Amino acid sequence: MYEVRFHGRGGQGAVMAAQALASAAHAEGGYATAFPFFGAERRGAPVLAFTRIDEKRIYRKTQVYEPDFVVVLDEGLLESVNVVEGLKKGGVVLVNSTRKPEEIDVGIDTKLATVDATSVALEVLKQPATNSSILGALAKATGLVKIESIEMGIMQVFGDRLGPKIGEKNARAARVAFERTVVGESHGKRVLKTAEKWLPDVNNLPMGVAGVAMKTTAGAVGPGSFLENKTGSWKVFKPEYDEEKCTMCNFCWFYCPEGCIYRKDDRMEFDMDYCKGCGICANECPAEAINMVR
Amino acid sequence: MVVSKICTGNYAAAYGSMRSRARTVAAYPITPQTFIVEHISEFINNGEMDCEYIEVESEHSAMSACVSASASGVRTFTATSSQGLALMHEILPIASGMRLPVVMAVVNRAIAAPINIWVEHNDIMPERDSGWIQVFCDNNQEVQDMVLQAYRIAEDKRVSLPMAVCLDAFILSHTVEPVHLIDQDAADKFVPQYKPTGPILDPDDVAAVGVFTPPDYMMECRWQTDKAMRDAVAVIKEVNDTFAKQFGRDHGGMIDPYLVDDAEVVLITMGTASSTAHEVVDDLRAEGKKVGLVKLRFWRPYPTDDLRKIAEKVKAVGVFDRAVSYGVGGPSFVEFKSAAFGLNLPVMNFIGGLGGRDVSLQDVRFMYEQLLEAAKTGKAKRDITWIGTRGVEQ
Repeated sequence: MYEVRFHGRGGQGAVMAAQALASAAHAEGGYATAFPFFGAERRGAPVLAFTRIDEKRIYRKTQVYEPDFVVVLDEGLLESVNVVEGLKKGGVVLVNSTRKPEEIDVGIDTKLATVDATSVALEVLKQPATNSSILGALAKATGLVKIESIEMGIMQVFGDRLGPKIGEKNARAARVAFERTVVGESHGKRVLKTAEKWLPDVNNLPMGVAGVAMKTTAGAVGPGSFLENKTGSWKVFKPEYDEEKCTMCNFCWFYCPEGCIYRKDDRMEFDMDYCKGCGICANECPAEAINMVR
Repeated sequence: MVVSKICTGNYAAAYGSMRSRARTVAAYPITPQTFIVEHISEFINNGEMDCEYIEVESEHSAMSACVSASASGVRTFTATSSQGLALMHEILPIASGMRLPVVMAVVNRAIAAPINIWVEHNDIMPERDSGWIQVFCDNNQEVQDMVLQAYRIAEDKRVSLPMAVCLDAFILSHTVEPVHLIDQDAADKFVPQYKPTGPILDPDDVAAVGVFTPPDYMMECRWQTDKAMRDAVAVIKEVNDTFAKQFGRDHGGMIDPYLVDDAEVVLITMGTASSTAHEVVDDLRAEGKKVGLVKLRFWRPYPTDDLRKIAEKVKAVGVFDRAVSYGVGGPSFVEFKSAAFGLNLPVMNFIGGLGGRDVSLQDVRFMYEQLLEAAKTGKAKRDITWIGTRGVEQ
């Protein structure tokens, strides 16, 4: 049995990637399952998805603890998550990155592949949906399934959800990424750490999980804890503000779902510590004073 | 032609309702059930499903609409989860009391508070005595198959009761697995057109249903419903056999025992923990340990006789509950103790997997180790064990 763990962010499509991989393996005659683990259901929040592939029926319905392959859809996750946790000896790490495999440090010596899936997605799909591209790269880096099966899996899963045209486009993105994937070795020097979690026992958990502001060994929890837990790293695009064009209509302030835009004197201020790059402000701005840039 | 497709439990449930030719669906979306409703509206929109979809403002209305539609002689389907099921609570005994074969998929999710969207069986446990037949699935194939079987069971004139097909939140609802999707001809053969057995709401042939009933009639009415639930046991087995004959898949009827014949200890599980335990049983067997597994499929009616027969032959029984009846233990544990009353053997309750906590291979192995120890000593180390709960002794 092979187990694959996808590290992504909400909205990047890690779940659909895991499903399309299962579909690809099934098309090759194997048994496959795929499932997500959602944390907070928010665009940009770190998410996990898993695929299991075997020749016979898979019974275990647990999370994946010792993956054979790890897929990282967002390089930024390397700073906050130990993506190689539990990785089996001889396993492969695949990272969406513009860098070469030897330039990436995941804390261990490992076979590592990189692909600039974001650029492939922007070229082929005109949007930064990297989930299909990364699957093409996975086929190249691991040989787990054939690229033709990946294309078929994507057409089925993406096609079912988003229509056959989008399915085909995504299959093309996978093929382009397959060709551009660089497979190499990486040597780990730094120690990757998954952010420590606050895990109190029954005697220390507040009654009813009442959210009181607390300092814990893992940092602040409860109301106000996001003063420490900045979420601005979730974004792919950031807003570029043109003060000259701005009419101070305050639409951006009104529509920002994160409350990241403030009026300050005669201009708008953007709080990049919490902006998730959703682009709603740019979309709503009647003066076209906001542009989303990478 | 039998097509095997990678799909989620939610898709399997929706697909099953389409192939069963449900004619009225009234449902309200709730995580993690939402995709069931979305798939059904897609089927209807694509012209694949000839069905009246009633948009409602709440689950209370969803079940009310299903009851009304069913009372007019139409095959109905709905789906819900957690708080949605709780909001339906008032109408559930009305469906069973009126003897209406409404079929519902319940994606089992923790009940608030605290708010939690993950798997737990605490949402359906309060509906234990609602008069609904309840089956727990452990894979997506079973979800699809049980929706079809549910109509055969619920609509059987010996039964005439509503039925819930339960699937674990996310672990089935959002997990894709290969499923042999049943084609329409085969489905039609298995679930023929619905012919109501009782009077229906029909302007040309007037009937009153769900009427005011004084004490003079109530005991007899309740007895009828109780008898229907007892008679359902035979019907469930019959339907399972008929299904196995036609489709070649035998889900086991009331329970699905695995390697229990020569087992020293057995673990009783509900939902997807059964599937994980299946792998652990294989591992332990390979190590020469005589362990068995009983997948408790039907929660109502309860398989008292089947379980007692197994309990008579083993040295210790464990009951895994993904729910808790506060102050008492797991509901399945309490029920089993009643089934095994008077038998002299250690029975251990394991409570775990609440609110989506992972039930790992090691967790299941730990349960079997405890049971083997109890079989050796003839005594349970403790009656109720909370698996992997920080600060609680194991």
